[in-house]
Formats: sequence, structure tokens, C-alpha cells
Amino acid sequence: MGRAIKVGILFSTIGPYGAIGRDSRDGAEFAMDEITTKHPGAIEPVFIDPQGHMPGYLDGARSMLREYGCRHIVGTITSIARKEVIPLVEKHDGLLWYMCPYEGFEANENVIYTGACPNQHLLPLFDYMLPRYGRRPYLVGANYVWGWEMNRLARELIHQAGGEVLGERYLPLEETAVERIILDIEQRRPSFVLNNLIGPASYAFLQAFKVLGDRDPAFLPENCPVVSCDLSECELDEIGSGVATGHFSVAAYFDSLVSPENLAFKIDASKRFGSQRHLSNIFASAYTAVKLCGETIIAAGTDDPQTVRRHLSGVPLSTVFGEVQIDPDTNHMALPFHLGRINDDNGFSIVNSRPAITADPYLTRRRTKMPVRLRIVS
Amino acid sequence: MKETPNFTGRRVTILHRSDITTERLTRQLKLLGLYVTVQWEPLAPTDLPDIVLVDADQGWDDLLPWPEGKAPLPVVALLGSEAPGRIAWAMQQGAGAIIAKPVATSAVYPTLVMAVAIHAERMAATRQLQHLEERVRLRPLVHAAVQKIMTAHNVDEEHAYSILRNCAMQRRMPMEQVAALILAGAEPLPEAG
Repeated sequence: MGRAIKVGILFSTIGPYGAIGRDSRDGAEFAMDEITTKHPGAIEPVFIDPQGHMPGYLDGARSMLREYGCRHIVGTITSIARKEVIPLVEKHDGLLWYMCPYEGFEANENVIYTGACPNQHLLPLFDYMLPRYGRRPYLVGANYVWGWEMNRLARELIHQAGGEVLGERYLPLEETAVERIILDIEQRRPSFVLNNLIGPASYAFLQAFKVLGDRDPAFLPENCPVVSCDLSECELDEIGSGVATGHFSVAAYFDSLVSPENLAFKIDASKRFGSQRHLSNIFASAYTAVKLCGETIIAAGTDDPQTVRRHLSGVPLSTVFGEVQIDPDTNHMALPFHLGRINDDNGFSIVNSRPAITADPYLTRRRTKMPVRLRIVS
Repeated sequence: MKETPNFTGRRVTILHRSDITTERLTRQLKLLGLYVTVQWEPLAPTDLPDIVLVDADQGWDDLLPWPEGKAPLPVVALLGSEAPGRIAWAMQQGAGAIIAKPVATSAVYPTLVMAVAIHAERMAATRQLQHLEERVRLRPLVHAAVQKIMTAHNVDEEHAYSILRNCAMQRRMPMEQVAALILAGAEPLPEAG
């Protein structure tokens, strides 16, 4: 290859989900460095930071596709940003690499999904929670499609299990006035809380829930845990050490995973970020997306999106998630399920795991439930 | 919406020339769990699929085997044209939703959900209408039975009507049916109560 092939990296490092964006960008940079060391001059990243503004995503993506000639963009965090960028990517016949957990109900030919959809996070989470903690949860969520759709699905799962939703409340990303919700939860006394809040709202909620637990032991984590589908290591520092201890989150990757892939990954990452840094699901996911994108372009000898997709789909891929595949029908990556309990070191102790689950973004197989092998990793 | 819409195992027929449109639709429909048939010839009136997607740009009248307003299944129009005549044709075939051409695959699932729901709504409305029509048709019977009760018990019309209604409720029958039985003498005249 002659000139370096440009790959766009589109993450907001400030704003309400800035912590997630910074970790994503770190993961992407880390992968880029590895690619550049191994194949000097082959791939060149184009970093653009939309600064948390929606028009910034459009402008950034447009500039990557038109001015820089990128055919691949890794990025966007929220579903709103993804939906904004997709039409542009389609128009230029590019490929968007979306690497966050999301609410599903999408399978675009111009998108590779390396983040989990509900049959990879919410469904196994409820399989675990409902029999152990009870069928009367309380649902809180961010006031946009992620929160709405996750809670709609949760509601459906709870009804199917013969349970009852004790309450359902929504907050904007940056809203930190959570007292009314906390009071409502205190009165209704749910069996657990599903937290689909994002950013500062989520952090404020967990802080206030700690105060509630200190006042009333019924709301200590062992009695009424808060479970999230996207809370990760990079956010625990913002919540405060020990504040969220005992509560749960779901991810395809935790820093504490004991696997040969992760041990090697952590050694390499510690050389750049120090050994104190807790890597997160979002870091691992951005790293994996950039790594797969870059290495496939180099192996294929072209950044033609169709060719790249053909190279990637349906073959075993060695990733930090273990050996996984990208489904050629849905463009989604199979991902393992891990449930982590937050510990005092602002990390997660893994309490339940399942091997890689094939993504089912439209939940078409849900009613013919396939037996799933359970594996406990501690 | 209580249940997440699920199309797994349903059969869909795309009435459209095989091209990039049918290719993209087929991919998306298959990953939604549907069995897909593509054909560009009239749909046989027997062994109908569960859902039909039809090319409204080039579709002709005999493509679908049902008369106007009588679609027995959900119909989605595939439409590139903006010509009013083509939109009207799509509606005549019973289309409840449209997928614009060129097809954005993200339109497929929402459109199916909407077309299926609209079809169910129309079916329910038709059933309700038939039911009400039947009741209107039989109203004279009710009126005659009320007159008979008024005379027999020497009560006013309102009272007679409530006697008839109580009788229908006790027998768990529509009022029209009880009225017919009373008039035919098959049912003893209900007691005033």
C-alpha cells in the first residue's frame, strides 16, 4: 500500500458522557498505536471531537468522509448521534463501527456493531436478577431512546415473569436532582432497581441511593441492589470510592476478567496507562473496533467497506472478549455476558458469566428460548 | 405496546421485479425471521402469505387477488413515485403503510409493525361494523317485542324495554334474539319485575 489509509475516530471527550468518550478515545488511540507500530504508515487516524454537540457529530463525520477521504468511522456514543451519522455513512457507502451497548432494533448494512444489544445484556441480566431478588423492580432511565426502550423491554420481561413494575421514572442526562425518585423508591420498596440513567444523572442517583441505604437497611445493596447495563470502571471514580459498592453492572468486559486474553491486554495497556488504570468495557470495545478495522483493512489490502465486511464476517476473531464472530446477517458481534458487583477498589467482582451470545437485535428468537449453559466465574 | 412485535416464522411475499430493492428487502426481512418469496406475477388466491409487499410504482390491478377494500392480510406499498394515481392504487390494494424507494433498511421493521397493526385495526373495525349493522337490521323486532310487553303488562315503553333487557341479560342472549323468540311465541312473555 502506498499512502496511509485514513480511519475516522469520532468521540466526545467532554459533556455529560465525557468519561465514556475519553475512555473510548484512549482505547482507540491504544489500538492505533499498536497498528502503527506493527505496520508503520499503513493506517492514519483522523480524530475529531464533537464536544458533545449533535451538529458536531454531523460536521465531524462529513469532514472525515469528504475532506479526509475516510471510509471507516469508529465512534458515536449515544443512539441519537449514531442515527445522525448513519445517513451520511450510507450516502458515502462507508462503514460505521459502533462500539457501545445499545437498545437494539437496528441492523444496518453500513454499520458494524461491536457493542451489546438487549439479548446480550438485559435479557441475561433479568434471568439472573428476577429469581434471586424478586419480580418487583423499579425502573429509572435517561430521558431518551436508550432509557425508554430498555425500560419498555424490562417491563415486558417483568410481566412475562408474572412480576410487577413498582415505578418508572426518567431524567435528562445532566439532571442531578434525584431526591423525588429516591423518595418514591423508599415508599414503594422494590426488589431491585434497574438503572438506565446516563452520566451525571446516574452518578447522582447512585450517590443518593447510598444515603438512602445508610438511613434504611432495606436499601443496602445486599437487599435492594441497583443494576445498570452500561455503568463501567471509567465512571466509578466520578461517583466516588466505595459509594456504589455492592451494586451491579453488566458488560462484555471487566478489568477483573481472568482470561489469557485479558491478562496480556492489561500488561500491554499498563505500559501506556500505568498499572493503576482500570480498563473498562467501553475502552475494550473501542480498542477492539479500531483493531479489527485497521487489521482487516491491512489484510484485505483495501478499505473498501464491502471487502472489509466480507473478510470479517463469520470467521473466528481473537479479541479481548475471547474468540468471537461477527454475524454476516446482522453485522453484530457475538459477546460474552458478565455481571459484575462493584467493589471498594472501584472495580467489579464478576459474579455471573455466560460465553459469547449471538446478537439478536430484533429479538426474533426470544420465544423459542434456547438452553443456555451457565458458567460461574468468581 | 405491551409485547415486542415479532415476525419470526411468518411468510411474506414481495411482488416486485428482482433487483437491488428486493435484495435489500429480502436481507432485512430474513433477519427479522420471516420466510421471503419474491415474484413478479399475480398472487395466487389460495395459500396466501401472512404479509404482502407490493411494488406500487408498476403494480397493475390483477396483481392482488382481492377487490378494493377487502385485503385479507397486511399490505405494504413499495413506492418511489409521488404520482397521486400510484398512491391511490396502493391504497386501493389495501396498503396500510409505505416503504419509500430506494429502500432504507431501517424502514422495514417499523413499517411491518405499523402495517400489521393497521390491518388488525381495520379487521376489528369491520367486525364491529358488521355487528352493529346486524343489530340495526333487527331493531324493528325489538320495537315490536317492546310493544307486546307494554300491552301485556300495561307498562310504559321505558319499563317494557327494561323488562326485555333484563330477560336478555338473564338468558345471556342479545336483545334482538330474545325479541325474536318472544314474538315467535317460543319464549313465554317475561314477567314484569
